[in-house]
Amino acid sequence: MGVGDPPGMAIAHSTASGMGGMRTAGDLVARMQMSRGMRIKEAKEYVASKLGVSVIDLVDPVVMTEIRQDLNIGLTTPLPGYAKGMEAKFNIAKVLEIEINSVNKFKERTKR
Amino acid sequence: MKKYRTRKGDGSFIELNENELKAELEQGTSDAADRGKISPLSKEELQYLFELFTYPSKFISVEMGNEVILSYDAATLKVRRVGVSTHRIQSLQVYEKLLGADMLEFDHVDYSIKPVKPIITFEQPELEQALLVTTLPLYYGAQPNLGLYNQPDGPCPNPGELYAAGKISEAQDSQEKAVEYAVSDMVQVGSEMYESGADGINFDTTGAAGDTDFLATLKAVEILRKKFPDMCIEVGMAGEFILGMHGGLSYDDVRLAGLYPHKQIELAQKAGVSIFGPVCNTKTDRSIPWNSARAVTYIKECVKNSKIPIHANMGMGVGGLPMVDHPPTDVVSRASKAMVEITRLDGL
Amino acid sequence: MGKEELFKQAMDAIISSDLKKAEEIAKKAIGEGIDPMELMSRGFRVGITRIGDLFERGEMFLPELIRSAEVMKSVSELIISALPEESREKSGVVLIGTVQGDIHDIGKILVASLLKANGFEVHDVGHDVSVETFIEKAQELNVDIIGSSALLTTTMKYQKDLEGELKRRDLRDRFKTMVGGAPVTQRWADRIGADAYGEDATDAVRRAFELLGKS
Ligand code: B12
Repeated sequence: MGVGDPPGMAIAHSTASGMGGMRTAGDLVARMQMSRGMRIKEAKEYVASKLGVSVIDLVDPVVMTEIRQDLNIGLTTPLPGYAKGMEAKFNIAKVLEIEINSVNKFKERTKR
Repeated sequence: MKKYRTRKGDGSFIELNENELKAELEQGTSDAADRGKISPLSKEELQYLFELFTYPSKFISVEMGNEVILSYDAATLKVRRVGVSTHRIQSLQVYEKLLGADMLEFDHVDYSIKPVKPIITFEQPELEQALLVTTLPLYYGAQPNLGLYNQPDGPCPNPGELYAAGKISEAQDSQEKAVEYAVSDMVQVGSEMYESGADGINFDTTGAAGDTDFLATLKAVEILRKKFPDMCIEVGMAGEFILGMHGGLSYDDVRLAGLYPHKQIELAQKAGVSIFGPVCNTKTDRSIPWNSARAVTYIKECVKNSKIPIHANMGMGVGGLPMVDHPPTDVVSRASKAMVEITRLDGL
Repeated sequence: MGKEELFKQAMDAIISSDLKKAEEIAKKAIGEGIDPMELMSRGFRVGITRIGDLFERGEMFLPELIRSAEVMKSVSELIISALPEESREKSGVVLIGTVQGDIHDIGKILVASLLKANGFEVHDVGHDVSVETFIEKAQELNVDIIGSSALLTTTMKYQKDLEGELKRRDLRDRFKTMVGGAPVTQRWADRIGADAYGEDATDAVRRAFELLGKS
C-alpha cells in the first residue's frame, strides 16, 4: 500500500493499524505469514511463544526493544557490537526456527 | 440535525447529517453486495462504521491488540515520488527505520516485469546488497503489465486497434500470445530474484490489462511454486473485478473475466499464491463513508473465503481511501481501522 | 405488436448482439411508421446503455461489447437512411486520447467503445498524446468534442495545458472539451474550465450527448 506522501499514507496507516516493524515484532510476525502462510492470529501466537512473551507485548516497543536486544535480532536504534542487517537475520532464523532465503544464500556464498 | 464533517472520494470536505451518513454507508455496502453477489454488512457493522465516521477526533486507530502487518509495494519508488532523492537502499532503510514498515520491497523505477529482464544482472547485485543491510523481509516487486507486450511496445498486434476494427478473434489471439511472453518473463524475473536471496516476489497491480494479466500471473505463480516450494509469492490486484478484455480465458475451468475478490482468492490459492492483495477502487464522486463501506464489504467476503493471509490494498484511490496526492489522515485512519476491524484481515 | 414491445425487442437485440433480429426490428418499425428516432432512443440505445452498465459490473466483457457496438452501428445506419434528408444530422465526432506521459488506456478504450456504440464517430489517438497532437488532430478531423483521459496526478496538468493552448490559439470555442480518468473530478473540470467531466463510460456518453444538445 501507499502513495508518495508518507505522513498521509505510510505514517497514518502505521499509527492507525500497524504492528510497528522493527520497533516491535512486526517483521517477525510478517515472516511467519510469508514463510508458513500463517494468518495473523496464528502468526502472532507463534512469534510470542518463540520469544517467550504474551501476544500483546508484540506491539510494545519497550518490551520488544529489550527482547530484541536479548535475542540480538536487530534494533531500530543501533547499538555498538549488536547484530545488524544480515547478522540479525541469522539470529531471527534461529529464534523463529524458519529458513530465511538470504541467510541461506549468505552461508552458501561464504562456504569454501 | 447535527452535521458531521467527512470527505468525498476526491478528498474534499463534505458535511452529512445522521440520516445522510447512514444512507451513504447502507448504499455503499449494498452496491458491493449487489455487484459481487455477496452479503452486505450487518446492522452492527454499519453502526460501528457510523460511530467511526462521527467520532470527533481527527485521527483514530484500531484497538490495542488488533494491529496487522504493513507491506509497502513499490517502496523504493515512493520516497522518490515526493521528490526526495534517495538511493534505493536508503529508501528501504527509510521504510524500515522511519516509517514502521513490517515488510519491504525492492523495485525498479519502471515497476514492470518486461523492462527488468534486460537489466536483471544489474538489479540482482543491488538487491543482494540491500539484503545485507536490511533486517525486514524483502520482496522484489513489479507489475506484470501485459500492455507492454502489445505493439508498439512489444511483439503482439495491438488488441485495442484490432477491437476497434471489429477483429474480435484476432484481438483475442494476440492477447493469448501476450500471456505466453509474460509468463516466461515473470518466471524468469521471479526465479532470478529468488536465487539472489529475496524472500519472495510481489506481482503488483495484477489484472491491470484484464483477464489476460490475471491468467499470466496465475500461470507464472504455478510454475514458480513448483520450482521453489518455500518462496513467498504475493499477488496484488488492480481492481475489484477482473476486466474482460479477452472475455474467454479461464484458469482451472473458471472463467476469469468478471471475478470479484472472494472468487479471485480461490484461484490464487490454487495456483500457489502465499499472500493475496485484493483491491476495491474508490469512486471520487461518492463519500468516503460510502467508499469505505463498499470496500470493506468486498474484502470481508474475500478474507472469509481465504486460507492464506490477505493484505488488502490501502493506497491512494483504493480500499476506501481518497484519490488524492496528499490523503487527509482523518479519513485514512478511519478507512484503515474499518478495514482491519471489520474484515479481520492479516495485513495492509 | 405494440410499440412498447417493439422497443423492448430492440433493446434485447442489442444486448444479445443479434444483428439479424435488430435489422428486422428496425425495418418493421420503419414500415409501421414508428418514429425512427424514438426507436433509437427508447429501444436500441437503452440496450447499449445496459451493455455499458453490465460491462462496468463485470457481467459482460469487451468482445460482447464490441459485437453489440457493431450491431448498433449497422442499425444506426439503417435508421438514419430512413430519416428524411433534411433531418439526417451527422452524429457527433469525438477525438479521445490519454494525455502525454500517461500510458493508462483501459478506461479510455472503454469510453471510446461505448461512445462509438452510441453512434458517435470516434477517433482514438492512443496514449501518451501531446497537447499539440490533440489540437492538430482535432482540427484535421474537424471534431466536435475533445476527450482527454489522465490517470496520474502528475499528468492531469496536461488537461489544463490543453485548455490553455486552445485559448491561446483562439480555438477554445470551436471544440467542446471533456475530461476523465480516476483522479479527475468535476472539481478539477471546473477549475481548469473543461466543458464536461465523465465519471465512467456510461456517464461519458451522457455528457457527450449533453454537450451536443442531444440529451
Ligand atoms: C491498471 C493500472 C495501471 C496499468 C495500466 C494498464 C493500461 N494499459 O491502461 C499499468 C500497470 C501499466 C500502470 C502503470 C503505472 N501506474 Co497505474 N494504475 C492502474 C490502476 C490499478 C487501475 C486503472 C484502471 O485501468 N482502471 C480501470 C478503468 C476501467 O478505470 P479508469 O481508468 O478510471 O477509467 C474510467 C473512468 O475514469 C472514466 N474515464 C477514463 N478516461 C476517461 C476519459 C474521458 C474523456 C471521460 C469522459 C471519462 C474517462 O471512464 C472509465 C470507464 O469507467 C490505478 C488505480 C486506480 N485507483 O485507478 C493505478 C494508478 C492510476 N497507477 C498509478 C501509478 C503510480 C502508476 C505508475 C507510475 C507505476 C510506477 N511505475 O510507479 C505507472 C505509470 C505509467 C505511466 N506513465 O502512465 C497510481 C497513480 C498515483 C498518482 N500519483 O497519480 C495509481 C492511482 C495506483 C496507486 N494507488 O498508486 N498502472
